[in-house]
Amino acid sequence: MGRTVRTENIVLWLCIALVAIAGLVPIVVMAVESVRHNGHFTLDHYRELISSARFRPLFGNSIQLALATTTVCGLIGVPAGILFAKSDLSLRSGFMWLLTVPLVLPPYFVALGWARVVARIGTIASDWLFGFGGCVLVLSSVFLPITMLLTFASILNVDRRFEEAARLVSGWPGVLRRVTLPLSAPGIVFSIVLVFLLAMGELSVPSFLRYPTLPVLSFTQFAASYNFGAATAAAVPLAAIAFVGVLVESAFLRDRDYTFRSTGQTLFISLRHWKSPLAALTAALCFALVILPLSALFADAFSPAAMHEAMQRAGASVVRSVMYSAVAATILMALGFLLGHFMRGGRQRVLSAFTLALFAIPGTVLSIGLVRLWNTPGTWFIYATPALLILGYTAQYCAVTTRLSLAGLMLIPTSLDEAGRLSGAMWARRLFRISIPLSTRTLVCAWLAAYILCLRDVPIALMTAPPGGDPLRARILTLMANGAPPMIASLCLIMAIASLIPLAILTRVIPSRGIIE
Amino acid sequence: MSYIEVDRVSKSFGERVAMNKLSLHIERSERLVLFGPSGCGKTTVLRLLAGLEIPEQGSIRIDGRVVASAGKNLVPPEKRDLGMVFQDLALWPHMTVQQNLMFGLNARRVQKREAEARVREMLQRVGLEHRIDAKSHQLSGGEQQRVALARALVSRPSILLMDEPLSSLDDERKRAIASDLLGLQSQFGFTLIYVTHDRSEADMLASRVCQMRDGRVV
Repeated sequence: MGRTVRTENIVLWLCIALVAIAGLVPIVVMAVESVRHNGHFTLDHYRELISSARFRPLFGNSIQLALATTTVCGLIGVPAGILFAKSDLSLRSGFMWLLTVPLVLPPYFVALGWARVVARIGTIASDWLFGFGGCVLVLSSVFLPITMLLTFASILNVDRRFEEAARLVSGWPGVLRRVTLPLSAPGIVFSIVLVFLLAMGELSVPSFLRYPTLPVLSFTQFAASYNFGAATAAAVPLAAIAFVGVLVESAFLRDRDYTFRSTGQTLFISLRHWKSPLAALTAALCFALVILPLSALFADAFSPAAMHEAMQRAGASVVRSVMYSAVAATILMALGFLLGHFMRGGRQRVLSAFTLALFAIPGTVLSIGLVRLWNTPGTWFIYATPALLILGYTAQYCAVTTRLSLAGLMLIPTSLDEAGRLSGAMWARRLFRISIPLSTRTLVCAWLAAYILCLRDVPIALMTAPPGGDPLRARILTLMANGAPPMIASLCLIMAIASLIPLAILTRVIPSRGIIE
Repeated sequence: MSYIEVDRVSKSFGERVAMNKLSLHIERSERLVLFGPSGCGKTTVLRLLAGLEIPEQGSIRIDGRVVASAGKNLVPPEKRDLGMVFQDLALWPHMTVQQNLMFGLNARRVQKREAEARVREMLQRVGLEHRIDAKSHQLSGGEQQRVALARALVSRPSILLMDEPLSSLDDERKRAIASDLLGLQSQFGFTLIYVTHDRSEADMLASRVCQMRDGRVV
């Protein structure tokens, strides 16, 4: 008698196949192409790359930029996350969401804002901005929310009973150092690895601020020189670093994967006389990193003439941006939920590492792989349509929706599913009647997070959008070369509104609860 | 004057009144068992004594010192000289048994050599010296109970609070740990305040039983 093929297994393999087609196959094809020339094996592209005078300085620049950005994000983001999660700081929720704004916008918006600020100050500031210092400043404000939010979330997840047990014998500094932070370490380390990899692969900011890095070289070889071999060879070290980063993170997390019985409440530290100085310091940080650059960017965005021109030149791009992002977010939400569901069932490590590696790979690398794979006469129906862009988003961001879904699913007792199984319900029925209805908030969060990420993405939009079908952030980058600054500002404002609406919904969906000790 | 005095203390959680003008006097080295149905406010008494909750009305005095009064915790938990065994034990999962016990001693700046000796002695006392390097998930349920007890007592507190710690154990293990607990209490002389809804546990451990209902002692 043959083995029964279960629906659950079919769906699992379909999900894996989708992720593989969207992410794994393009990367493999890209790696293979980088060692082939006219159908023969060759390392010429790598030889040329390594022997070229540019490779080492560019690689060094990328590493330096990633290290400096990670250090700043760690030094500011982790304490900020602790402060927002564990203290009774005034307006902490407002500060946190304000600091999150740069993350939901395309990264070059902050760079553009700073360019407007320094234009009013003078040449010295301008020289500083257009270089290493400016890149670190901009990328730190863009990626700071990652360390801040993941620290915040990890600390909120710590069962307050562990802290209460420690409070009986130690003051708060000792409790934070010995209990809260070690138990939150997996999330904090993950955020730091993530910031390093994202800064390493960032394209638009170094490109705009004229700081040469490896992703810029790879993109230039691809888009300007049409040298696919060289572009691929430059992209492979970035992919390799992303994989190493994921391995480092996985190695660190081994034996540190604590499961808590969440009580839904956290224990707050009363700041007492530190409350006002820390609130002032946080307000100053918000002003310097968010309000100053973004108000400079949007200062002349509100004129009716600029707004009219913006809509004339990019109205269709706005609609496309929202539509592509919404479609991709819906696919990502469904895929992430299913993958989260399977990971909970024990198939965790390989799937988790695989999706995370795809998230960590720079968008330029993934895009080159996708173009190499699908740019054939037989697959024109994918290459020349938004399907390629949506495949790129699916590969790049499925780790986010998967992890969000998994975190939400972990809060549902397994006994609920087991009770369904014992009452005779098959997998699909249990999924639709038990898991999905209990996960509506998780699904909404996952959709919004995916929508924001797709909407802010630059490299995939820039490199895989169909001809004449570019999304808004790609169109803005193109128009920046010859468009009037007020019109560019208006376009940025439209884009920001499209990104900030879901963020505003997220602030409502994710409540913060706690107990002040 | 009693060693611990809870004087007309009230505490609510939103709409739910957990404690309604409760007064309670406990003598030094007494073994008081708070007994009553679930939700009657037993755990809240322990948490208020520990300083993990703040009373809305009334005051709490320990050894002649007011530690909390209406809306304020005057003495923080770590300065109250007490140990607590939580219902879910709350053993820190990232630490070994030794590290769980050392934490409080380090926080109180006990010399390393003395701290290690005290940890070893306490683990010997609860029969777990061979599990010193294990983490909590590597221990059986009974072993986890003993580690939680050892952790609460290793700092030699004057008061030990226990929140239904034996509720998940079978009768045989319950009796064994209760017997250990009585031995430790006679050795160290701490005041024991023990919360349970199980009459047999109350009978095994108490020198006095207080029955609670609806946030009051009846």
